[in-house]
Amino acid sequence: MTTISFDLVSPENLIFNDDVGMIIVPGKDGDLGVLPGHSKVMSSLRPGRVMVYGEDKNLLKAFFVSGGFVEVNPEKCIVLAESVDEINTLEKSTIEKEIQELESKDTDESKDKLFIAQKKIEALNSSFY
Amino acid sequence: MPSLKDIKNQINSVGSTKKITSAMKMVAASKLRRSQEKAEAARPYSSRLEEMLVSLASSAASGEGIIKLLTGTGNDKNYVVIPVSADRGLCGGFNSSINRETFKLVKSLEDEGKKVQLMPVGKKSRDFFNRVMKDQILESFVDLNVSQAGYDSALQVSNKLQELYFEEKFDKCILVYNKFKSVISQEVTQQQLIPLDVSNSSKEENSEDSAAKAIYDYEPDEETILKDLLPKNVSIQIFKVLLESDAGEHGARMAAMDNATRNAGEMIDSLTLKYNRTRQAFITKELIEIISGAESV
Repeated sequence: MTTISFDLVSPENLIFNDDVGMIIVPGKDGDLGVLPGHSKVMSSLRPGRVMVYGEDKNLLKAFFVSGGFVEVNPEKCIVLAESVDEINTLEKSTIEKEIQELESKDTDESKDKLFIAQKKIEALNSSFY
Repeated sequence: MPSLKDIKNQINSVGSTKKITSAMKMVAASKLRRSQEKAEAARPYSSRLEEMLVSLASSAASGEGIIKLLTGTGNDKNYVVIPVSADRGLCGGFNSSINRETFKLVKSLEDEGKKVQLMPVGKKSRDFFNRVMKDQILESFVDLNVSQAGYDSALQVSNKLQELYFEEKFDKCILVYNKFKSVISQEVTQQQLIPLDVSNSSKEENSEDSAAKAIYDYEPDEETILKDLLPKNVSIQIFKVLLESDAGEHGARMAAMDNATRNAGEMIDSLTLKYNRTRQAFITKELIEIISGAESV
């Protein structure tokens, strides 16, 4: 078994559904690398990058999720995400503008949004893998 | 006897009404297809979330804070009822059946001595309850437009609801909405949203294989996940209901407009018949007048 079936689901639709080689998801306690045959895990997610790799470990897709849950069993990995953006559709300048707008407000909601926007920038800047 | 011109006018006006209703039917049909697709697309998320929740629910002891969404406040006194109607009319009995059912529910709860408050969603139920029980309305949501705004519209309702719940403004929350059974039939359904009712689904789950469920590792731990999961579940349930009600609205409107178009067609037929008869009567009358005129000469 060299592939694992991967579903990325948002409340509005099914975003990704295919057999892949490896997935890296941002678990609450640290990133999880999921390979075929992974043991059963259920975890909540922090805002961050979901990286999808093909069978020969080439990067297929990268997504930004704002939180959610992941369920892993040996054959399947399912990510339930609140909101999903494909990383290469994110534009640094627009997010920075958003951050500036949000910084001027001071409600709980804007703080949450600000936190996520900052994480987006972080995800764009990071180059670990 | 109406003049020929009167009948002609009537036929024309019914004809233009028919055009409008058949156009509305077509619009409703295409909107219906779209909102059905949306409802379809939302299903994997909500069913997955529910599965997770069921497998976690057993681990929840009676708790404080967020866990209360599952276990309840321990009281059974204050209710919030959320009728979900459409923003627009002309869709048959869609809105009135929601209002009627909600009204009945509120009355029966009040008879049991409960305190009931309302949070209508949609213009039609807001307007109705503004008339009949204005002082019980907590909050109302109109123009949510779920098929375009998407998940955010559900979040608005859910955030407000949870805020009130944690201020202990109410103990139980019941949704009244039109469940989408098929394109032509909707069923008024009541669903208890808070505290969450997992008893039915958990039974099914147990009969499968509870052993396979148990092997999961939880990260960070069951309770933390549950705390994240429960508020999301409320939102997603509301989202599901909004989508279903939206699809139901278009279905109901399509059926209503189909009926209206058919009735208009029948009316045109009978008016045309009347028009032709009247015209024939005039012709006959004129002929008689000419003939009798000629005879007398």
